[in-house]
Amino acid sequence: MEATIEVNGLRKRFGPTVALDDLSFTVKPGSVTGFVGPNGAGKSTTMRVVLGLDSVDAGTALIGGKPYRSLRHPLSHVGSLLDPAALQPSRSARNHLLWLAHSQGLSAGRVDEILETSGLERVARRRAGGYSLGMRQRLGLAAAMLADPPVLMLDEPFNGLDPEGIVWMRGFLRSLAAQGRAVLVSSHLMGELQGTATHLVVIGRGRLVADTGVSELIDAASGGRVALRTTARSEAMTVLANAGATVAVTGPDTLTVTGPSSERIMALLSEGGVPFSEVSAHRATLEEAYMELTRDSVEFRAAESGFVRTDGEVAR
Amino acid sequence: MSEALHAEWTKLRTLPGTVWILLGILALTVGLGAVVTATVRYGGPGTSTDLTRLSLTGIELSQAMVAVFAVQAVGGEYSSGMIRVTLTAMPRRWTVLGAKAIVTGGLTLAVGAAGVAGALLAGRILLLANGFTAAHGFSALTPADGPTLRAAIGSALYLALVALLSLGIAAALREPAVAIGAVLGLLYLFPLVVGMVQNQSWHRHLEQIGPMTAGLEIQATVNTGGLPISPWAGLGVLALWAVGSLGCGGLALVLRDA
Amino acid sequence: MTTATVPPPYRSDLKLGNDGFVQLLHAEWTKFRTVRGWVVAAAVAVAVMALISISAATGGKGANCVNGKCQRGPSDPIGPYGVSVTDSFYFVHQTLDGDGSITARISSLTDAIQPDPQGQGGAPPAGASVPWAKAGIIVKQSTTLGSQYAAVMATVGNGVRMQYNYEHDVAGNLGAASSASPAWLRLVRSGTTLTGYDSADGTHWTEIGTADLTGLASTVQVGLFATSPGYNDNQYVFGGLNSDSFNSLATAQFDNLALGGGWSGDAWNGDAIGGADGQYQQTGSGFTVQGGNGDITPDVPDDDTARLALSGAFAGLIALIVIAAMFMTTEYRRGLLRTTLAASPRRGRVLAAKAVVVGAVSFAVGLVAAAVSVPVFNRLWSPDAFYPVGALTEARVVLGTAALLAVVAVFTLALATLMRRSTAVITTVIILVIMPYFLATTSVLTPGPSDWLLRLTPAAGFAIQQTIPRFAQLTNVYTPTDGFYPLAPWSGFAVLCAYTAVALGAALLVLRRRDA
Repeated sequence: MEATIEVNGLRKRFGPTVALDDLSFTVKPGSVTGFVGPNGAGKSTTMRVVLGLDSVDAGTALIGGKPYRSLRHPLSHVGSLLDPAALQPSRSARNHLLWLAHSQGLSAGRVDEILETSGLERVARRRAGGYSLGMRQRLGLAAAMLADPPVLMLDEPFNGLDPEGIVWMRGFLRSLAAQGRAVLVSSHLMGELQGTATHLVVIGRGRLVADTGVSELIDAASGGRVALRTTARSEAMTVLANAGATVAVTGPDTLTVTGPSSERIMALLSEGGVPFSEVSAHRATLEEAYMELTRDSVEFRAAESGFVRTDGEVAR
Repeated sequence: MSEALHAEWTKLRTLPGTVWILLGILALTVGLGAVVTATVRYGGPGTSTDLTRLSLTGIELSQAMVAVFAVQAVGGEYSSGMIRVTLTAMPRRWTVLGAKAIVTGGLTLAVGAAGVAGALLAGRILLLANGFTAAHGFSALTPADGPTLRAAIGSALYLALVALLSLGIAAALREPAVAIGAVLGLLYLFPLVVGMVQNQSWHRHLEQIGPMTAGLEIQATVNTGGLPISPWAGLGVLALWAVGSLGCGGLALVLRDA
Repeated sequence: MTTATVPPPYRSDLKLGNDGFVQLLHAEWTKFRTVRGWVVAAAVAVAVMALISISAATGGKGANCVNGKCQRGPSDPIGPYGVSVTDSFYFVHQTLDGDGSITARISSLTDAIQPDPQGQGGAPPAGASVPWAKAGIIVKQSTTLGSQYAAVMATVGNGVRMQYNYEHDVAGNLGAASSASPAWLRLVRSGTTLTGYDSADGTHWTEIGTADLTGLASTVQVGLFATSPGYNDNQYVFGGLNSDSFNSLATAQFDNLALGGGWSGDAWNGDAIGGADGQYQQTGSGFTVQGGNGDITPDVPDDDTARLALSGAFAGLIALIVIAAMFMTTEYRRGLLRTTLAASPRRGRVLAAKAVVVGAVSFAVGLVAAAVSVPVFNRLWSPDAFYPVGALTEARVVLGTAALLAVVAVFTLALATLMRRSTAVITTVIILVIMPYFLATTSVLTPGPSDWLLRLTPAAGFAIQQTIPRFAQLTNVYTPTDGFYPLAPWSGFAVLCAYTAVALGAALLVLRRRDA
């Protein structure tokens, strides 16, 4: 059985609100797939649907080809972390994992093993109600990893982590993918996924906005722009605009030029005698790429490769 | 204090369940009283019945709703974590509890008074229809009758005191489920235990200290000499329970971390 | 930037056990036992249940106790089944040795209610009658109180009956006896077997029933009898029962007396047995027998050990209701249910596992409390102090009380699944289960509404605790306040179970449909 999450044509309404609108995507093994969108876009709802917790009006969500509710030992197929606060405050971390282990036919030995790997040994017998958000995240991760599943689905795992924890989490997620697991990680902050996710599923208002590789997305967002540093800003703008380039001011001595290549820009500036200290191809951050994408998610429609604006212009 | 009162009033007013619970208190007070007075029949000469108390039977049931109302007012804040917001806005915790007590108790008193009036009115009409007429030596229920007026005022006060008792217990125990179990256990256990104990002096002592058994003697209008505790003293016992529980609740609120 | 090599899909080498219902039960049990508050609350439930039961015992009084010394008085004869009986009637008898028969015709049976001699209770109400005033023929081991007997009789309000050994009552085929329609009665003794017959004309006889009086002596007393239990004017007022008792005297005309078998041929003896009033007159072949202020029935005791020893059940119940509600509502409150259902997606099984765990815990609480309170109770009271119930009845009450706790806990769990708010659930269950019991047994309501409350609400389940038998032939106050439930033990329990089944069904439906 291939370790995948396949979501096909999900539709769901909460009263008048459309929560999911024909949402389809696939999460493949061996990669970290970022699941991004603004708050309320439908990420958590999708995850709940995949776990068989919420019903849908139409569509299917399959784990390795089967609906979640038909799985035996479900936690050995998918590990999930939905809400780190979903704990009985008076129950200790060890006991929380213990009942989960029992439900999958696992022994207490496995619980101690996972407590050790998640670094919770020292607090394992204390009331979970007293845990910090970071500790609860670790406990949630431990629960997800309990039955050693090939698919992981984590909702906002970076929430509440300190900078050190964020670095650790990125490394952890990458190592999971490197082991050949399929990992779906939701986030509303794109920056968290920088250097972690290799694939992105972007949704807005319940609809798929983009389903693309991270590198393709950044290439597209960078879109042939060139960053220019110059002390003679207005002269540079005049020269470049006359040559047909689009110029945007991004700082007191920096400009972003769209149109000509960096070689052509250097030639134009030299010809015009405009001084400059730096010309470089602009590389968008993941965050910028995402902002570009979701500026108004309604204006975007999913396309087979890349994405299409409603005005027909194809962005590459 | 007036800010605290205003704040608590706004909180209670904007809680969606409040109106329904208060309507429930009203409905149970009038409803059970009406069912009871509708089912008694005049049984011939020698029938001696406390008609006022009979009409006010609904209190025995509606006090459960009062307990829910008061427990929710405090316990709801603990279970949602809102208590931290409240105590940040109003750091003087005794003031917070006092404001809660006044608002919850006052609202219960008002609804209780309306329920008692309705129950007595229903009792007056139904009892006359069931043969408890002047011809048989019964006078119609009226607030002009001293003991009946005392029973009516006392019953409304009884509900308010039950609210305060519940409020204190909820503040002390925090967990609303445990608090409601404790309040209802305290109220209903006493009369049930009393019913089983046949040793006369034990029986009497238990009736004298039980919050419900003592407190409800305020409803007695006939044969008041034969009561285990006099009406106002009985209500006083309940008041002591309420003060005690508010004290415990207040101490818990002040001493424990929110 | 795409990673050049995709690693092969992950394969776990973790050994997995079964994930059947047993594992789910284990998981839910682990959930229960790892919240200290719940375990403490269950222990508290045991403690309050046992404490209240024991204090009810120490504060109570034995039915047959005077100044702490408990024994049966001479006025409490013990019947053939070892329980006390009422054995009081006017008896016109002869000795019969060996097999034989007696036949008699009753042409009239009347009953006169006597005014209260002190004049305190006034006169009995107009139209009052005593349906169980009776007269007829009887075969009795001896005139010793409480000895075995079998009788065929006419009654004022219940037609012809055959009764034997106090507890048994079989309806005959004829209505009230009068001069227009007299009742012919016959009793045939063969060894220890007695067969009763009645007839409207003295020629066509119909068998009513047979009684096997084990160990019946060869020599027995046989003859005519009359007795009447008297009239009770019961008025239910707020806070209890006002009862005025009036004696009554039954008068019966017998004739066509025919004896068969080994009769002694002595003269008839008239004796007032067990303090009854009465007399007889012989006129030719006819007899007029009067008897009153007595009856031949089982006794209904005030209370009994099994019931009292478990009287604290409702106190333990409140604690268990709180636990059962929280066992479900805590799942909802913080979204823990999502973790639960992700681990065990088959929702019906999750509900079932929770119900089994919470039911088993409650059952155990009931059993442990009984194991504590019943021995303590038995040590505090001599065996004679209370009505002795049989071992089977005692087992039914102990196990039934534990089952009552378990079913109410499951009912609470089901409502908690539907309502999700702990305060609402707990209050609803207390109003549905404890309140009707409270209203019905503490004289708040009159017997009519009380009986209906204990028939229609889940509180009907408390009937499982009833031990004192209820006899149709015994005029008594059968109200909840006196420990009599309107439904039989198992039917009452079935009402509770029906409520629970409906609630569980609804909970299952909702749990399956609702988004977690």
